[in-house]
Amino acid sequence: MDIFDILAKYRGEFLQGLLVTLKLCLLIWPIGILVGTALGAAGARWKVGIGLPSKVISFTLSGIPILVFLFWLHYPLQSLLGIVVQPFYTAVAALSIVNTLLVADLIRGVLNDFPNQYVMAAQVCGLSHRQTVLQIQLPIIFRQVLPNLLLIQVTMLQATLFASLISVDEIFRIAQRINSEVYRPVEIYTALAVLFLAVCLPMHGIAYWLKARFTRDLSER
Amino acid sequence: MLIARNISKMLGQKQVLTNVNASIIPGQITALIGPSGGGKSTFLRTLSFLDPPDSGSIKVDDETFAFPNKNGNNRPFPWPKVTIVFQQLFLWPHLTIRQNISLPGKDSNDHRSTEIVDDLIEFFDLGEFAGRYPNQVSLGQRQRAAIVRALALCPKYLLLDEITSALDVEHVSKLLTHIKSLRDKGMGILLVTHLIGFAERAADQVIFMESGSIVEAGGTELLSSPKSKRLGQFLSLVGTAN
Repeated sequence: MDIFDILAKYRGEFLQGLLVTLKLCLLIWPIGILVGTALGAAGARWKVGIGLPSKVISFTLSGIPILVFLFWLHYPLQSLLGIVVQPFYTAVAALSIVNTLLVADLIRGVLNDFPNQYVMAAQVCGLSHRQTVLQIQLPIIFRQVLPNLLLIQVTMLQATLFASLISVDEIFRIAQRINSEVYRPVEIYTALAVLFLAVCLPMHGIAYWLKARFTRDLSER
Repeated sequence: MLIARNISKMLGQKQVLTNVNASIIPGQITALIGPSGGGKSTFLRTLSFLDPPDSGSIKVDDETFAFPNKNGNNRPFPWPKVTIVFQQLFLWPHLTIRQNISLPGKDSNDHRSTEIVDDLIEFFDLGEFAGRYPNQVSLGQRQRAAIVRALALCPKYLLLDEITSALDVEHVSKLLTHIKSLRDKGMGILLVTHLIGFAERAADQVIFMESGSIVEAGGTELLSSPKSKRLGQFLSLVGTAN
């Protein structure tokens, strides 16, 4: 049985696994980007009230491996609270929290480091506040944020594999199950690697292209 | 007139401006000279309302802005009637040279503003580079772009902070010709420069500033016959360096 036979025979299961991975991403990405952006912007605006606690939480969580955090949400926390949450939603919660904090750190950093001299130049040129925000600040912020935001989302996609360890039937778990039946690890895990390369490499490429194209040298050497 | 009265400012614990009084008269070029760290750029920034002083007042024609602002009036500052060309330029990095220059007048229905931009780009030899980004052109070209961006605003009072530092002789001469023509049209210009020769050729009035205070002010005859000992020492050192 070669890889194409395996793919043909188990295409339904693979597709199912892919769909679950996709559903995970379609929840984790928007939650992380929207909530993280709001948290980051609020943290830059209210440095002590919101920024500092956000930094402390992010710093603390960075000391815990994602897998350990996921397991902690799945086992100890639910046991403490006396609740049972579907593993899929536990995975969404864990990875969304991580994504939110990563995005918030990125946004807060870009906003705090924004070169205010460009706003001053806009002021003395008579640009209105609205023009300054829309035509000066937001474009520069967007160009600084977008490449790294994309890379964070690629990392989140790869992190969805951890969900397999709490019994979420995403693509990696499906691949493991099929391998346990046919025992063709070389073909199956190589196919999985090729799949992720096909998805992640273009996203990496876009991120690096955006960085090269839009991240203008702000130092005006 | 643009009149600064009793302007004082502290930065941290350091007094950087002490009771500075100066007037920028329409139709005159005033050169502000002095040693580095003397408060010249700080004074320019307070005069441009970017860094308001701790005390004193700035009068722009009929409008007076007193500091500190005890009445809580939030009157808009008179930009771009008063505008400044920064020593560090501050061109917007995500816009091309042409976009940097034309953005401030973009929403205007006045076609004359487009003509002014095109004429200035041509006059300052920026036509070939107008489609490039600031980090794709030389420092001298960026400096010319920053100057053109301010000139395109047709301000009444123009503050220039060391704008000749990266310009070649030809473009210094062009700039001098242009700012003199602006002066003749009634613009009031204050320029900070380390080039005493440029100050001598360009200015109608000279102010010598040191340690946050004006030491001496008057016509350009000060540059050849200073009244104060300190200005004399400064000019002799500059002459030795040149």
